[in-house]
Amino acid sequence: MSETPSLPRPELITGDKTLADVTNDICAPLECRPTGLWWAAIAVSLTALAIGVAAVWYQIATGIGTWGLNKTVGWAFDITNFVFWVGIGHAGTLISAVLFLFRAKWRTAVNRSAEAMTLFAVMCAGIFPLIHMGRTWLAYWTLPYPNTRGPLWVNFKSPLLWDVFAISTYLAISALFWYVGLVPDLATVRDRSKPGWRKRICSILCLGWNGSARTWHRYETVYLLLAGLATPLVFSVHSIVSMDFATAVIPGWHTTIFPPYFVAGAIFSGLAMVLTLMIIARKTMNLQNYITITHIDRMCKLMLSMGCLVGLAYGTEFFMAFYSGNGYEQFVFMNRALGPFSWAYWTMVICNVGIPQLLWFRKVRTTIPLVFLIVIVINIGMWFERFVIIVTSLHRDFLPSSWADYAPTSIEIATLLGSFGLFFTCFLMFCRLAPVIAIAEVKGAACLKKRRRAETPPAEKSPAEKIA
Amino acid sequence: MNNEANNTKDATAGLPGSVVGNSAGLNRRRFLEAAGFSISLVALGGCGRTPVETALPLVDHPEGLIPGNTLTYASTCSGCTAACGLLVQARDGRPLKMEGDPAHPLSRGGLCAVGQALPLGLYDDHRLKGPLHNGDPASWDKIDGNIKKQLRAIADSGGAVRFVTPTITSPTLQATIEALFDHYQFADARHVVFDVESCSAILDAHEQTHGARVLPHYKFYEDPAEPDGEPIAARVIVSFGADFLGTWISPVEFTAAWRKLRSPTAEHPVMSYHVQLEGRMSLAGSNADKRYRLLPDEYGIVLSHLAERLAESENKKSPPGHIAESSIPAAELKDLVDHLSNRLLDVQPGQSLVLCDSQNVADQLLVNFINNLLGNYETTVDVKRPSRQRQGSDADVLKLIEELKAGNVAALFVAGTDLTHNLPGREALVAAIGKVPLVVSFAERQDDFASLAHFVCPDHHPLESWLDAEPVDGVISLSQPTVKPLRDTRSILESLARWSERDESAYEILKTTWREKIFFPRAQQQSFRKFWNQAVHDGLVMVPPAKEISVDPFNSEAVRLADERPPQDGLSLVLYSKIGMTDSRHAHNPWLQELPDPVTKITWDNYVCISPALAEEEGLEDGDVVSVAAAGISVELPVLIQPGQHDRVLALALHYGVRGTDRYFHIGRQWLESRPTVAEGELVGKNVAGFVEPRDGALQYHRSGVTLKKTGRRHDLATTQIYQSLEVPKHIAPRGAEVRDQIQSTTLAAFAKDPLHAGASAHHLPDEQLWPEDHPKDGHAWGMIIDMNACTGCSACLIACQSENNVAVVGKDEVRRQREMHWIRLDRYYSGEGDDVEVQYQPMMCQHCDNAPCETVCPVLATVHSDEGLNEQIYNRCVGTRYCANNCPYKVRRFNWFNNTEWFDYELNGEQDSAEDSSLISLALNPDVTVRSRGVMEKCSMCVQRIEQARIQAGGRGAPIVDGAIQTACQQTCPAQAIVFGDMNDPDSAIHAELANPRRYGVLEEFNFRPTVTYLRVVKNTDERTPGHEAKGGRHE
Repeated sequence: MSETPSLPRPELITGDKTLADVTNDICAPLECRPTGLWWAAIAVSLTALAIGVAAVWYQIATGIGTWGLNKTVGWAFDITNFVFWVGIGHAGTLISAVLFLFRAKWRTAVNRSAEAMTLFAVMCAGIFPLIHMGRTWLAYWTLPYPNTRGPLWVNFKSPLLWDVFAISTYLAISALFWYVGLVPDLATVRDRSKPGWRKRICSILCLGWNGSARTWHRYETVYLLLAGLATPLVFSVHSIVSMDFATAVIPGWHTTIFPPYFVAGAIFSGLAMVLTLMIIARKTMNLQNYITITHIDRMCKLMLSMGCLVGLAYGTEFFMAFYSGNGYEQFVFMNRALGPFSWAYWTMVICNVGIPQLLWFRKVRTTIPLVFLIVIVINIGMWFERFVIIVTSLHRDFLPSSWADYAPTSIEIATLLGSFGLFFTCFLMFCRLAPVIAIAEVKGAACLKKRRRAETPPAEKSPAEKIA
Repeated sequence: MNNEANNTKDATAGLPGSVVGNSAGLNRRRFLEAAGFSISLVALGGCGRTPVETALPLVDHPEGLIPGNTLTYASTCSGCTAACGLLVQARDGRPLKMEGDPAHPLSRGGLCAVGQALPLGLYDDHRLKGPLHNGDPASWDKIDGNIKKQLRAIADSGGAVRFVTPTITSPTLQATIEALFDHYQFADARHVVFDVESCSAILDAHEQTHGARVLPHYKFYEDPAEPDGEPIAARVIVSFGADFLGTWISPVEFTAAWRKLRSPTAEHPVMSYHVQLEGRMSLAGSNADKRYRLLPDEYGIVLSHLAERLAESENKKSPPGHIAESSIPAAELKDLVDHLSNRLLDVQPGQSLVLCDSQNVADQLLVNFINNLLGNYETTVDVKRPSRQRQGSDADVLKLIEELKAGNVAALFVAGTDLTHNLPGREALVAAIGKVPLVVSFAERQDDFASLAHFVCPDHHPLESWLDAEPVDGVISLSQPTVKPLRDTRSILESLARWSERDESAYEILKTTWREKIFFPRAQQQSFRKFWNQAVHDGLVMVPPAKEISVDPFNSEAVRLADERPPQDGLSLVLYSKIGMTDSRHAHNPWLQELPDPVTKITWDNYVCISPALAEEEGLEDGDVVSVAAAGISVELPVLIQPGQHDRVLALALHYGVRGTDRYFHIGRQWLESRPTVAEGELVGKNVAGFVEPRDGALQYHRSGVTLKKTGRRHDLATTQIYQSLEVPKHIAPRGAEVRDQIQSTTLAAFAKDPLHAGASAHHLPDEQLWPEDHPKDGHAWGMIIDMNACTGCSACLIACQSENNVAVVGKDEVRRQREMHWIRLDRYYSGEGDDVEVQYQPMMCQHCDNAPCETVCPVLATVHSDEGLNEQIYNRCVGTRYCANNCPYKVRRFNWFNNTEWFDYELNGEQDSAEDSSLISLALNPDVTVRSRGVMEKCSMCVQRIEQARIQAGGRGAPIVDGAIQTACQQTCPAQAIVFGDMNDPDSAIHAELANPRRYGVLEEFNFRPTVTYLRVVKNTDERTPGHEAKGGRHE
């Protein structure tokens, strides 16, 4: 941080922490017994997960017919959930890789959990293309590998196949990126742990980290390279997911705007989910000094910009439909806004474009309960965005004779619930098993003292506190 | 306690080397014992009960029988009394597929949905397994003895014997019944003909006007006898309620003939003019050029005005009487009569046809008067060689009911109809039947009447038995068995013969009758043996009538103008049959239960059709249960809002609420949120036969003075189409795209002017291909063209496809969830309001696009393009992502949401205890077509199995496949011959010629999907014409 900024920059870490404090604070959740709140949270998550598992088991045992789909609406909750979770998974890479390359240091407080979130979200997302298949047990047929069935090859023209590659690549890179970032912190945990299973596991996982300059050098190089590798993925994954729709012929799907529109939407929803988790985590795990109002404020700004992009995309779609002169295209958008699923459409618009406009106000951005409310609303809105795109385009397409309705069954709702259960279970486990904030990076990014205030003259109040 | 211990000790003490004593050590002997035991165990275990399968070669190998090859038998359809020609396709002794017989002069190769569904009935496990005596299984000998004894006693005591059947077109069965009567010399024996939908009034009217009680043979079109002669053609058709394309008398025959004048060509832009006046929306009405909504009570008044006007125009004497006042405003009535008379007089004498389904003899007399006036009796209305397809005499039936109630009947035989289900006043009738000492039923299952019978002597399924039919004088066809009887049933011919002390088989009885009654009277040149063999081979003989019907000159004395004032307000009830449910016995056929009614698109129920105006007035929506009551009878059914229906008419379908249909409780996959097709113990629909009114000596299918009351309850109706119009909802319609152009239509005048562009959409035609064609199709290029002007929407193709391609039945709940599996969707669209409601049909199946959107998106290449232009679905490669279905612009792909076939097989027939007891239903499956498992996509394959079959056969002969050698199932059965299939590359093929048809267009062709299935534009003859505007005869010369 510059000593003479034109505007005072808020400090990234408040509470006058020393380096040792940082380590202690962040490692604390790992080293003490879980709180009651954690137990309650994991109980709820596991219940949701169990309901989801039961629903999926029932669906696989009985048939896709247990979903509310029909001959016209072949995808609904399944692919909505898939796109929703993939979208959530975008913020992680964005924060880790893109902001890393832009040297946005405020990212350090949130990148670890954002990456973990990405990983879990992509896992959740990956489940849906698997279970939405009529014959899930043959899912491996979508992989191109030499086989004895002909050999039969996969269809490289199919966007679903591109999905297979995009999602698996993304999962692999995200996992690797997350893990590499974890290595120095795992070494810290190893060093702090008493002999036992945790120490043993961390010793293996930290790959013999010894904190030497050479280790750090190698680490930074790998991290930078991975960040460079991961950056295109932020844009490619959701672009490819959007091509499931954009390359189809169904009005409402068949639009060239989809790749950027989906990416913006994905980052939007990802940021909202990161914020949701961060607001919970800072409160429950006592990390207010690490995830500060400044962080939230900046995330909100980023979110606002994405929200406006998404709003622009909504408007563009309507304009393009009008401008195309294509009656089918125009009908689909009229039907979205005023047809039987208009409630979903307007939910989406209000949640994604309307309410986020509150974030223009600094007061709103720094009022945590309000921000929390807004991000929840955005999460809901972004889920509905996918639902609207998928269901309203399908349910009334070309031939009026085949128009159909759609309503989810209990099994579909339970499956959605289950995916949240899986996500939160993984996240809560992660909170207990690995440092939720990148200790090494926080230390590197923030100007921290080695000693406590008592040993140095008292510093001025931090700008953040002044603002507050 | 002590005692027990001592006992044990005592019990084991004396045994040498007892188990207890020696448990510690294992010596050599014990080891060998154990080893020996184990080996025996393993050996015995290995000899477990593997299923024993015996495959014995035929000892007496029939000539020409190659296992796995199809054998075709010419036969006669038994679905209704129309008796269409049938070619039964049997495989390895199993009749599997019904095809229309192209050589049949009436049905001309067509077959309706009911005919197509016949094989499923054969393999139905609920058919009786043998004869019953008072509800218990008994032996045939015992039953024969009993019945003979009782008949003898009745003959001696002079009791009345009544034999009730529906119309019998079979000369042999007729003769056999008469032989039974003759044998016992009953003092009072009568054969009562009871039709569930009687045309008794037509016959009675002809008795009065022509002196012969006959049903005319209506000819919509008949080819000229000489090549350059004039055909018989009904160029103007005026039908008062007669659904001649749907269920009336002989719909397949009528459709085939009607269609002849419905396809105008550029060179010859001529078509018939069809006006329908009716209360409900019938299939014929929905295909008419002009349709008027008319209360059935007022047919007489309109007919009277028409008769008066025509008589005036032709300078003939008008029938006497004073026409009563009508509820139709005078000006409207005048316009209507003007219009009808102008049109009827616009064509030459004998080129029109007036039909009426009224059961009122006075109405029918007026119809006869008009047809006579128009000179139709020489041509389109043939009474000299009349039809025998409806012989019912309601007067006889009503008399029988009186006799039964009076207890004057000693023996009651009922064959081919469920008497108590189909007659009104069931309670009283059941009580009356209880008084009859001998009640015999020939029903194939325990139907309502059979459950009252003392003896049930189940007849064979028609596919198991010998019989004949003479639907029209001189057209005699044979039914022959195509499978050994599956059950211990007996042909009715044999049963009657046994009771007449004759020991002949049905075959011998039939042959004897043919020799005596058909062959000899006509003194054929050839030997009988040759004649008979040819008849069995062809399934059909055409002979001059045994005796010319003597018809008196037209007697107009009886004709009077309608002077009875119909009710001016209140509701009127019309009873009708649905296309697939023309008789209560078809209720046991799940294909027909799940067949969407062509007009309403509802499956699995009957309902009250009401007009939109009435619905609004009463505050009713689809599915609201109402109570319909008349004269103390009431029934509760859901309503269905039917555009185009008269505002004062309620329409109810007969033949529902059939005993035994509670079996469908089991059908379809049951899961967490599913609802059974019928609630446990309940029946499919409700029986409304109680509303049939005996009035004026006939059974009336319409009655006035009906009330309608909302009950507040709801009953979900399962429909296959939830949006009914090509017009998109008004509030979301983009400007300029308010109406979709999937069905393009024009009028005859516009078509004559510009055949190519009339009715065509303005959008641009397909672009050039961006990439070179990767499927050049230089061999065959299969294609299909559907003439939408010929297609009536009758849905025969739908069942033909279901039978050919093993399409599953899914049950009401799945249909309600929009998941029916039919490969052909018969789209039906309404447009207009009130009198102007127009209906258009479009069969929509896989369009086999050259640029198929489904093919590119499948991740596993489970749907690919063949080098002959077919879009192929590879079931065992499919992983079920449903992406192809989503991306299909025509939405014609069907996904197996559950394991439909398995559930159909086992659930239809309830729980099966063991493999031996397994259901027969799976025998109805076509072995050439894979049965799809759950989780895979399926769709129309253009009957690829038939293409391959033809290829194999042609390949065997080393010859190319000739045009016409391959007929898809839908094409084969189409009564209207609306479908052309073939090789578009073959310059001599029928489809190649049709490619140049100016009416041809592809649905959504502007998107460049390049569908291989294309359609011929609809041309309606709706142009206003002034008399004398064109040459008489309707020709554009």
